[in-house]
Amino acid sequence: MTEKLKLPWERVGSEYKATKKKVGMLLDLDRCVGCHSCSVSCKTEHEVPLGAFRMRVRYLERPDKPTIAFAPMMCMHCEDAPCLDACGNNAIARMDDGRVIIRENKCDLDRDCVKACPYGAIFINEEKEVAEKCDFCVHRTEVGLEPACADSCPSQAIQFGDLADPNDPISLKIKAKGAKPWKESAGTKPSVFYIGHEEWMEEKVNTGVQIDPKDEDITYEQNNLKNL
Amino acid sequence: MHISSRRSFLKVGATALASGLLPSLFAPSANAAKIDIARLVKGKIDYTVAKATPTICFGCTNHCGVIGWVQDGRVRKIEGNPLDPNSQGNYCSKAQGMISYTYYPERLLYPLKRVGARGAGKWKRVSWDEALDEVASKLRPLREQGIPEEFVFHYGRDKTKGYTKRFTNAFGTPHRLNRRSICSSNRRAPLMSYYGRDFEWETQDFENTKYVVNFGANPMEAYQGGLYMMHRLRESQNTKGTKMVTFEVRPSATASVSEEYHPVMPGTDGAVAFAMIHVILRENLHDEKFWNRWANYSLVELRKLVKDYTPAWAEKHSGVPAKDIERIAIDFAQAAPACTTMSNRGSAKHYNGVQSDRAIRMLDVLVGNVGKPGGFCLSSGSGWSGKYGQEGLPKLTQPGPKPKGPKPWGIGEGFNEVAFKKLPQKIQDRVNNFPDKWKNKYFGELATPSEYPLAWHWYQMRVGQLVYPYIRDGLQKVSVYMSFTLGAAYGYPEAKVARDVLMDEKLIPYHVAIDIGYGEQAALADLILPEATSLERWDHHSTNCYGLIPYTGVRQPLVKAAGESKSVQEILRDLAKKVGGGMEKYFDIDDIEEFYKEWYKNLPISWEEFKRRGIWQDATRPKDYELYERPLTAEELEGTVVKDGLIKKDTSKGIKTVGIMMDGKPVRGFPTPTRRIQVYDEVWPEAAKAVGLSMDDVNASPIAIYDTVPEHKDLADDRYIFSTFKWNVHTQGRSAHWKYNSEIIHTNPVFMHPSTGAKLNLKEGDSVRLSVFRPKGATYRSGEKGIVGSFENHVRFLKGMHEKVMMCSHHVGHTEHGVVARAETEKSAPAVGIETDESAFPSDKLLKKGVWWSKKKGGIGGGVHINDALPINPCPLTGGQNWYDNVCKIEKI
Repeated sequence: MTEKLKLPWERVGSEYKATKKKVGMLLDLDRCVGCHSCSVSCKTEHEVPLGAFRMRVRYLERPDKPTIAFAPMMCMHCEDAPCLDACGNNAIARMDDGRVIIRENKCDLDRDCVKACPYGAIFINEEKEVAEKCDFCVHRTEVGLEPACADSCPSQAIQFGDLADPNDPISLKIKAKGAKPWKESAGTKPSVFYIGHEEWMEEKVNTGVQIDPKDEDITYEQNNLKNL
Repeated sequence: MHISSRRSFLKVGATALASGLLPSLFAPSANAAKIDIARLVKGKIDYTVAKATPTICFGCTNHCGVIGWVQDGRVRKIEGNPLDPNSQGNYCSKAQGMISYTYYPERLLYPLKRVGARGAGKWKRVSWDEALDEVASKLRPLREQGIPEEFVFHYGRDKTKGYTKRFTNAFGTPHRLNRRSICSSNRRAPLMSYYGRDFEWETQDFENTKYVVNFGANPMEAYQGGLYMMHRLRESQNTKGTKMVTFEVRPSATASVSEEYHPVMPGTDGAVAFAMIHVILRENLHDEKFWNRWANYSLVELRKLVKDYTPAWAEKHSGVPAKDIERIAIDFAQAAPACTTMSNRGSAKHYNGVQSDRAIRMLDVLVGNVGKPGGFCLSSGSGWSGKYGQEGLPKLTQPGPKPKGPKPWGIGEGFNEVAFKKLPQKIQDRVNNFPDKWKNKYFGELATPSEYPLAWHWYQMRVGQLVYPYIRDGLQKVSVYMSFTLGAAYGYPEAKVARDVLMDEKLIPYHVAIDIGYGEQAALADLILPEATSLERWDHHSTNCYGLIPYTGVRQPLVKAAGESKSVQEILRDLAKKVGGGMEKYFDIDDIEEFYKEWYKNLPISWEEFKRRGIWQDATRPKDYELYERPLTAEELEGTVVKDGLIKKDTSKGIKTVGIMMDGKPVRGFPTPTRRIQVYDEVWPEAAKAVGLSMDDVNASPIAIYDTVPEHKDLADDRYIFSTFKWNVHTQGRSAHWKYNSEIIHTNPVFMHPSTGAKLNLKEGDSVRLSVFRPKGATYRSGEKGIVGSFENHVRFLKGMHEKVMMCSHHVGHTEHGVVARAETEKSAPAVGIETDESAFPSDKLLKKGVWWSKKKGGIGGGVHINDALPINPCPLTGGQNWYDNVCKIEKI
């Protein structure tokens, strides 16, 4: 008798496994529709307190057309990670697959990492009293699932893959489409790449359309938690 | 979750991992420190122990198949069910909203009885027995006295697929009211007029289309079926060179991802569509064979009709350059049949919106893309009762015994004369003069308002926004009013009218609200019955499939209902038993799961297997292309006669038309009276005549025509059009308390073009007062002087806005729905007597201190309520709310 064919979600825990040697992500702005599925999925997955984001979608008014561009922003998991160097406590570390993670138990809240990050990707979780950021969902990838944001994207704009494998779909696409990191000039060698990225976007990322002009918005800098 | 082949999952065979133990417990790190992964993932969802159960999302109107992950008795995460042929494993931010509302600290958990004045916000907890005894004691006399119609059931969103109707039918009232007119009746009516009752929603073949012309639909943010369209369109655009052109008034997400976006003057989509028809006919790019075969109108006449609808004329009305209309028309026709139109509220929610949509629909017929691969397809979806296109599927119907519906109101045998004679003489006269087909469908002014016969000609769409004015005007006496997940007090146009009526104990002597949250509607109740959320209850699910093969799914409970909340099925069952008097025999449903099991008994897979998969589809069926060309089978032809080219059958329900002779062969045709596409339909002038609407009114024409929205004619320079929209993270008025969604959008500034701002001497962030005037045309309180209402808000510039348009999003500006929706701080207590469950958000202790956008914390607050300023404005004949016609003025303050 053959075993009943398992449904995709029934294979979790037994049939999927982490295999990637160098993890990376490809964000395709030509596909993004700005739906915020990634950021809300991320916040639900990690139960991120209100007032901070591990991932966030920015709405940017196009200079050339009367429309809006959408740009998901997150930790870039840099090869030369300024946060890792800034942390005096050895709380920030790099895993074998290249991702940069924060060990909460070692964090002493000195905020050096927050200041060092050119992408504003790190925030202080005041509830837990630690610095926090995207970890490419270690708890999901360890069991062979994709990071929450990639799984949640309904327009296939977010792909997680193996940068060490030249035949991985994201490696092929990065090459074919000439995908580039955000703010390449920061020189931190991100593991996150963008298709459809244009230079003007980097300037505008702090003043996106969905930011109400009168709102005390939690900005790119993620520093407003002092109010809470 | 997506199917593994589409993503980069690696299947590694059946190497079972010890439950809870992660594979690489210690990995060496680059900076020479050991990384303790177990510590790293502490407190996160452990997917090796969490239980995954498929169900159906209720975050918006799409109802995607999803998987819920439950750990330690809580739903921790929602993902997509890859077996769902519509969503294909995709989902959006609103799916997670179900977790937010299920574990909302101020969720309703116990039956509550009002202890202060109505609306004063003072409650005491009562038992279910006490609560239902009270409702039953109010309901029972109505049946005993033969006035069951004085019980009014009014819902906001009901996806029980007939269960609530079981209750109202068993009780004997025709008053199961909805909010369809608020939403979509102006776009459903044109479709049903063209294609028949079974096709109130179209199903474009976006997987194969090459060219899309979109008139004001917003599938990338908030459209029924939007998510299903979104992932197909984005795939086609990115891999097949599909081009999408969008006419809109603001740079919506849909406009922004379209290859072309044209800001269009509100209410002029029909003009653009007509100019496209003009160009296609002039260039002879139409599909003459298809038109002559299936349309019920002559091309010669059509050419005459559109002679003056030139691109230059359309440019004058719409602002869309004539040369662009020319090009789009030609590109659209040349892509046929792999091209399609789409439209929604942007085109339809106007005084002339019904005719605009009929003009848009005509484009598809003209180029012959109807039912073709890549074209404008039709796939019947709601209910599995062997409807058009569902032949051969197992029948799925609600288990019996099902009560009969009430009698229609009128004079004669088989009519409810008593209720009818209580109506004002004027209305009785009007109904008495109706043709028989309408007399048999008339159930009083709330269910079937006689002034709007096309709100109930096809089926009962009703005119929700007139329910409260009609009650106030004495057109229906109400003794018990039951609202079910309804937000009229917040979200209806002129919501103040709804609140005033709900506050008036003479008009509404008793109001019982069934809901999951303490919204503005529940706040005005006398008794609140707490409902289980969509993560805690059962529902049948079927809808039209954008893969064009019918499917069905089941919503099933993932966790036990919180507190003492109960599913609406249990609440109405228990209530029916208490009311008694024969009602109880329809509710002998001990086990709700057994009831649903019975519902699906004809599926070819077992109940357990269906629950395991959450979805069933016979994927081997051919796609629903060109259903109208299918020859009738011998079985279908049995006992038929051919009359005037139509194939008719004598059934137990009278003579039915089942097909049409085409080239001497019997084929199915369309489910319309003529079995053709009714480009021309006498029902419009017939209805106009019956209610005394002028034959010159745009809505009275049997063929689509264009006329400017009455109040937009001679629009003064200092007057603007005020319009509203939905953001992608919100749904209707029911999401402002979803914490993660509202964190992204919690305000609604007035969007306008920078040049409009400059003209008004405004800077970004300036505060303004926006006031809306009454509409003109044949509608409610038409032409009255003075303003409907005003609100104050601040300004946000956006250069993609149409220069004549002011726009705010709705969803926000709540006065109830707890700390998140009200943007409050710890100091604001919930309504007295409502227990809050602070353990509901264990991860989010900060929520106890309120939200960061609270005004008391220096934030902007929770937005501005705009619905009091928007006029009740039903479209003639259909009653669809004309949301987007509002003429407004704006003053700096």
